[in-house]
Amino acid sequence: MKGVVNAVRHHLAVVGSYLRVGLLNFVQYRTDFAVAVANALVGLVTQVIGLAVIFGQTTQLNGWDHSGLLVLVGVFFICSGLLGLVIRPSMQTLMEAIRLGTFDFTLTKPADSQVLASVQTVAPQAATDLLVGVGVIAWTLVSDGQGLHPWQVGAFLVALACGLAIIYSFLLMLSTFSFWFVKLDNILVVFEGLFQSAGRWPVSIFPPWLRLVLTFVVPVSFAVTVPAQAIVLGVDGATLAAAVGVAVLFLTGSRLFWRHALRHYTGASA
Amino acid sequence: MSTITVRDLRKTYVVPVREGGVKAALGALVRRRTREVEAVQRISFDIAEGEVVGFLGPNGAGKTTTLKMLAGLLHPTSGEASVGGHVPWRRDHGYLRSMALIMGQRNQLQWDIPVIDSYRLNRAVYRIADADFSSRLDELTDLLDLGSLLDKPVRNLSLGERMKCEVAGSLLHQPMTVFLDEPTIGLDVAMQRRIRSFIAEYNRRTGASVMLTSHYMGDVEALCQRVIVIHHGRLLHDGDLAGLVRTFSATKTITVEFDADADVAADLGGLRDHDDVTITDQSAHGLTVEVPKDRAPQVAARMLSTLPVADLTVEEPPIEGVIERVFTSQDEA
Amino acid sequence: MSTGLGLPAGRLAPRGGWSFFWQMYRGQFATALATQVAYRGATLIWVFTSIVHPLVSIVVWRSVAGGGRVAGYDASGFVTYFALEMVVNHVTFVWIMWEMEWRIRTGAYSPLLVRPVHPIHTDICQNLAYKLLGLVGILPAAVLLVLLFGGDLSVFTTGSVLAGLLATALAMVLRFMVEWTLSLAAFWVTKVSAINSVYFSLIAFLGGGFAPLAVLPGAAQTLAWWTPFPWGNIAWVNQVVTGRAVGVDLVRGYLAQLAWIAVALVVLKLVWARAVRTYSAVGS
Repeated sequence: MKGVVNAVRHHLAVVGSYLRVGLLNFVQYRTDFAVAVANALVGLVTQVIGLAVIFGQTTQLNGWDHSGLLVLVGVFFICSGLLGLVIRPSMQTLMEAIRLGTFDFTLTKPADSQVLASVQTVAPQAATDLLVGVGVIAWTLVSDGQGLHPWQVGAFLVALACGLAIIYSFLLMLSTFSFWFVKLDNILVVFEGLFQSAGRWPVSIFPPWLRLVLTFVVPVSFAVTVPAQAIVLGVDGATLAAAVGVAVLFLTGSRLFWRHALRHYTGASA
Repeated sequence: MSTITVRDLRKTYVVPVREGGVKAALGALVRRRTREVEAVQRISFDIAEGEVVGFLGPNGAGKTTTLKMLAGLLHPTSGEASVGGHVPWRRDHGYLRSMALIMGQRNQLQWDIPVIDSYRLNRAVYRIADADFSSRLDELTDLLDLGSLLDKPVRNLSLGERMKCEVAGSLLHQPMTVFLDEPTIGLDVAMQRRIRSFIAEYNRRTGASVMLTSHYMGDVEALCQRVIVIHHGRLLHDGDLAGLVRTFSATKTITVEFDADADVAADLGGLRDHDDVTITDQSAHGLTVEVPKDRAPQVAARMLSTLPVADLTVEEPPIEGVIERVFTSQDEA
Repeated sequence: MSTGLGLPAGRLAPRGGWSFFWQMYRGQFATALATQVAYRGATLIWVFTSIVHPLVSIVVWRSVAGGGRVAGYDASGFVTYFALEMVVNHVTFVWIMWEMEWRIRTGAYSPLLVRPVHPIHTDICQNLAYKLLGLVGILPAAVLLVLLFGGDLSVFTTGSVLAGLLATALAMVLRFMVEWTLSLAAFWVTKVSAINSVYFSLIAFLGGGFAPLAVLPGAAQTLAWWTPFPWGNIAWVNQVVTGRAVGVDLVRGYLAQLAWIAVALVVLKLVWARAVRTYSAVGS
């Protein structure tokens, strides 16, 4: 037991160090930050205008009204920011490291290789998306005069954590394929395209077959829709439990796949 | 007591066989033909604590594969190895903390941040105590003259500066086994010398075992009391450098300088009639020939008696030449 | 007109006459096509991501329309619109903004600048090659979208499709010139991504990528038609192909496209001359 506690403490220290390095990167690239702010604002304005145009033609979209979709846009920005902070840049670095052979160094380090690979690059400018998202949600709720029950906030946070865990696992699995197929950088583009387009809408508007695809095959919608639902429409315990279940499934699956890939990389099973 | 023990270590890769042409490509879709490549073929050796060993061989000889197995990055196909009591490819954290792998062509420092912050990252990963960290950093800074580099982002460093920082960063946890793969590649002569003397100093101060591959014989001559030569995955030689030359060099080089105003006969005193004498360089002032080792005394005596010799030296051929000959003769055999 | 480095500044016309020009284009196009074929994996992935946007748009606007009509489009009308949008966007889309930024940042532009032909010709060839190869995936994908979601094909006639082909060709030329000029911003600004995202936002609304212009409020529609964006994109091509613009409207539209092309050409030449001067002054 003491060993486990020690190991966890060590890994937390490692993650902390990498986050610190990310902050240093931020100081190095102040212009990147300005660009990120500009991009986030343009993206937000585009979204808001788009929704205004749509709700100029209708009053509701599959049970979601205008302010409900604004909250969803906010959640989308939050997810995008959290993914962009550590997960996405680290996965890009991982694929490049495998291609260039510098992944060897990760393996020679005395810490869990999945943890090291998952936190190795931090892009603090993505925090702007996070702030924009929180801002949009707060603004929508306040202008609607709507309060939040603590249970809603709790459900929102649980759903968000599950959604991120699912997307993280999915991205890790995609990146892990580069152990076999080296030229795979573009695969992240596919995910990005789906996330940017489909992730901005409630999953319920899609036809059933697409809903299944967007929940289990390329799980982009789950992370956005369920947390937004927690704020706008409310979710029941069963949905949350299912979210936790799916997240655990994805995390376990990606962990097993990672270990299998490592054995392949080091030739252990050959 | 030896820290590194290698017994019958073997690694084979399965590679797809590719043939040209559309037909072959289509055929490969149905049934992929593969072939086994023996990268390392049952090699064995021991390295004692504190030894510095050079690991030589041409490209593709199996050096890096062996080094990667010892660093725990690759599982061998068969055979055993132990480094400091650990089986490398189990990669237990205890082993990884006691070892360092430095590759001259790849860098592990973070590209965009100051060097010192990459070092702090290693402090967390390797769980280096703060006191140890600062005293070792001081020592390394002093030995490698890193003072002005630590606050610069890696991308702003020259190749040589980057390599110094790489090496220092890899040794902060004071590994007792160090694997160096081409540590001086691409560096200028002064920087090569600097890295070399640093490695020697690290070895002297800590008593760490060092295993080094390099294409520069200068590295090997300066650092290694002992060399292991492999070719096509097989061990060819394990011993000191002079022994390598004695074993594999079949010739000696004789250089003579003529008297300033002497006439030299066109047939060089009958030297041209000998089949086993190769003239490698000739001018009005002197002559260089290569002869089989056992014939050297006779040829030298003959030259002294028939040519207007002012000065004569007999030398072993340069080490690069010997090594090259080892590999080419093995290919022909 | 030449700069200190002897760069072919602002010179779009060939030095060696039209036969040389033809030879050069044939050679460059063949090379570009071979490169695209070698990178067909990347092209395939790009084609795949191109389907996502129209797919999502179809789903969203079908929901908005429900069983009725929105701005003259019913559910199946939206399906056709976005399937068409995917094809037109594919043939007019240009990725030169990122390419140019990369070239300038890495210094890869210098060798292109010292060649005795204007670099735009290489870009044109690469673009055409990419589009040609991509159509192999895009056209079936468009058919698939129409079949899957039940698109309305009754709006097409042989005449409207032929007229639409001409409108598409002109749109290709216009959008290429606009985005190529925009990409030159990289000569002055190191981080062009903010400029690009503003541009893409504008083009989405005013060019018709987000939705048919008819769904926009009246004033926004009027404003949009006075900008170059609808003329280089789906908005105008859709009007032609679906028979919404005929007779005088059709001719007026073609003239508007030609006029914008003329304007874009002048701006392109001006900006390019300045860009090269900046580049040779700073060096790289």
